[in-house]
Amino acid sequence: MNQLLARGRVVALAFALGAAILATPAIGANEVTDIGSLDQQALAALPQFQAANKQLNAYGASLQKQYLGRAQHASQSEQQRLAGEFQSRMADKQRQLFGPLFGRAQVAIASVASSKNLTVVVDKRIVVFGGQDITNNVKDLLTGVGDPVPPVTTPPPSKVGYVDQSAIDQTSKVKTATDEFLKFKQDQDKAAADKLKGAKTAADRDNILKDYRKTLDDQQNKTLKPVVDATRSAIGDVAKAKGLILVIDKGNIVFGGVDITKDVTDKLK
Amino acid sequence: MTGFACGETRRALASGLGAFAFAVSALAFLLLSGCSHATTAPAPGASGKGTVGYVIMDELVKKHPLYDQLARYDRSIEAFDLTATAPQVAATDPHLAERERELQKQLNDAADRTRKLIDQKQKQYQQQESAAIAAALRGAGAGGPSAAQIAGSVNATARQQQSSVASQAQRDLNAYRATLQKQDAAQMNAAQKALADRADRTYRAKAEELQSKQSALSLKMASEDAPQRLALRTKLTSLALDDAAREDAQKQLAAIDRKEADALAATRNRDQQTLIALQAQLKDQVQSDLNAQVAAIRKRSLGSLAQRQQSLTRQVSNLGGPVVRTTVVNGRVQQRVNNTLPPALQARIQQLHDDYQKRFQADAKTTIADFQKTRQDLGKRYAQLHGLDGASQAGAQAQILSLRKKREDLYGEITAQIDREVRLIAQQRGIAVVLTNIVAPAGGVDLTPDALKDIESLHE
Repeated sequence: MNQLLARGRVVALAFALGAAILATPAIGANEVTDIGSLDQQALAALPQFQAANKQLNAYGASLQKQYLGRAQHASQSEQQRLAGEFQSRMADKQRQLFGPLFGRAQVAIASVASSKNLTVVVDKRIVVFGGQDITNNVKDLLTGVGDPVPPVTTPPPSKVGYVDQSAIDQTSKVKTATDEFLKFKQDQDKAAADKLKGAKTAADRDNILKDYRKTLDDQQNKTLKPVVDATRSAIGDVAKAKGLILVIDKGNIVFGGVDITKDVTDKLK
Repeated sequence: MTGFACGETRRALASGLGAFAFAVSALAFLLLSGCSHATTAPAPGASGKGTVGYVIMDELVKKHPLYDQLARYDRSIEAFDLTATAPQVAATDPHLAERERELQKQLNDAADRTRKLIDQKQKQYQQQESAAIAAALRGAGAGGPSAAQIAGSVNATARQQQSSVASQAQRDLNAYRATLQKQDAAQMNAAQKALADRADRTYRAKAEELQSKQSALSLKMASEDAPQRLALRTKLTSLALDDAAREDAQKQLAAIDRKEADALAATRNRDQQTLIALQAQLKDQVQSDLNAQVAAIRKRSLGSLAQRQQSLTRQVSNLGGPVVRTTVVNGRVQQRVNNTLPPALQARIQQLHDDYQKRFQADAKTTIADFQKTRQDLGKRYAQLHGLDGASQAGAQAQILSLRKKREDLYGEITAQIDREVRLIAQQRGIAVVLTNIVAPAGGVDLTPDALKDIESLHE
């Protein structure tokens, strides 16, 4: 899991860098269909989600105890196997508890989106201005009597696309570059930590950290930037070919939108 | 690094749940409350029809006047992470445990030697007792070796045994001294590190507190002046403005910038003086505390050593009593009281036996108690070492948490201000929706350059 997170961080860095580089002048204002937003934190505060979350936390704590008990005297490989087993059990429980709730919420969101002619609903955290906030409408449906009714029509085509960056992370080029960088970073972390132990003054420490960051930045430009550029180019090409205005991360899409992940990963192969 | 953590966690969750696209997002909100920036409620009745804009938040954050402070937090957090304080904060220092084991072994060895010493003493007391009994028998006219033979044997045996026990006692004392020295060195190092860390934390906390106040002041001034700035900027965008009015508006804008910069610079100068004074004070304090702790450690060690020395001296001097040749059968000293002796002599022999037994037991008890006390004393010292180390680690962990919280709060303030600027720009340009954290802007309107200009104008 840690490795996954670490990889996620590197690729997040890469995409952030990509997004920054991609700040090209606007080609021109495009007419868009409606974009909605949803405050998922507000939905999380609903009693049914809170109850499920409480149960999941209790289950997680119990699993953690069991894991520690069994892993204490286990070999490293056995510990890895156990970690996988317990993560899988946690994921199963998560599905069991949240699956029905998410299903119901998804129907409510689709229903509200349809009634408001929205083509896409995004996470409210990425909306700086505008859009239609449908949080209260969805909450009303979820807390009202009976189940929300699914819309009879499919959402109109959206001008907003999305990519699953975890899938892009797994393409061979990105993965190789990421692994290489991570290995380098691990070595640098260790070297910097050793140096920091010997630092006598705050100035020594600042210098060590400065060198450390510069080394990492240089290596990032060397190993990750080419991959980031290639990925950026592939996403841009696919988006243009499909007439999309923006492409966002799948994690920020709540409903609708156009998934271009496969087109992008195919292009990267 | 700013803002990356959100995407990172989101993706990690996404990969774990696959088809549960919404589940991912909904789970994300349970976990990501800390990394979201304040969002803005859309203008009432904002239509979805229109154009879509976007901003690259990382770029804007980097240009914000408070970014330096944010970067400082990042660097501090990074430093803590690199020195492994964060992930290993709960881990016990392996060297400490190793030293403790080593000490325990030395103490066990010393205890073994003590047991041997006690065995020797037991033999010695038995010999003394036997000699006294023999003397009593001779005094009573019973047969035995001559007085000269007895005296010669007494002296030779006494010298040999005393020498042997004294050597062993000296070796024990040397080993104990070496152990104490090692502990003292470890304790002093730990104390020095703990004091330096404490001073460092105090200094950093003060520096951060002052930085935060500066940030708050900067933000406050910027917020207070925002309406006036906006009005002036709006005025400046008007084509109908004549040169004089334009120049006047520009002067007013410059005056606002200058006023904020002057106020901030004055605060910074004052804070800098405060920090310099604090640094000097902390340095003196660390030195003074360290001197006191070093003196206390040395005093304790010298006390223990003197006590041990006295105890061993007593043990050795106790060996100097009268010793006579005794009969040892199968390794056991035997005293035989002739039952044909008069009852008064038998009673005297019994009294002698009881007396030597009592003296031996008291001597052995003192020796054992002395070792037990030493063991407890050393155990306590190591416990203190552990405590010192634990307190230092707990302090570091609290520091990291505090830093992360401050960083989060500051990031929230920065993005909230950026959001306000972007909202104004969007309204002026007729943009319906503005998003951030986008992966690729294929055709949306990039508001980042305009927002950058506004953010940069907030600089002093």
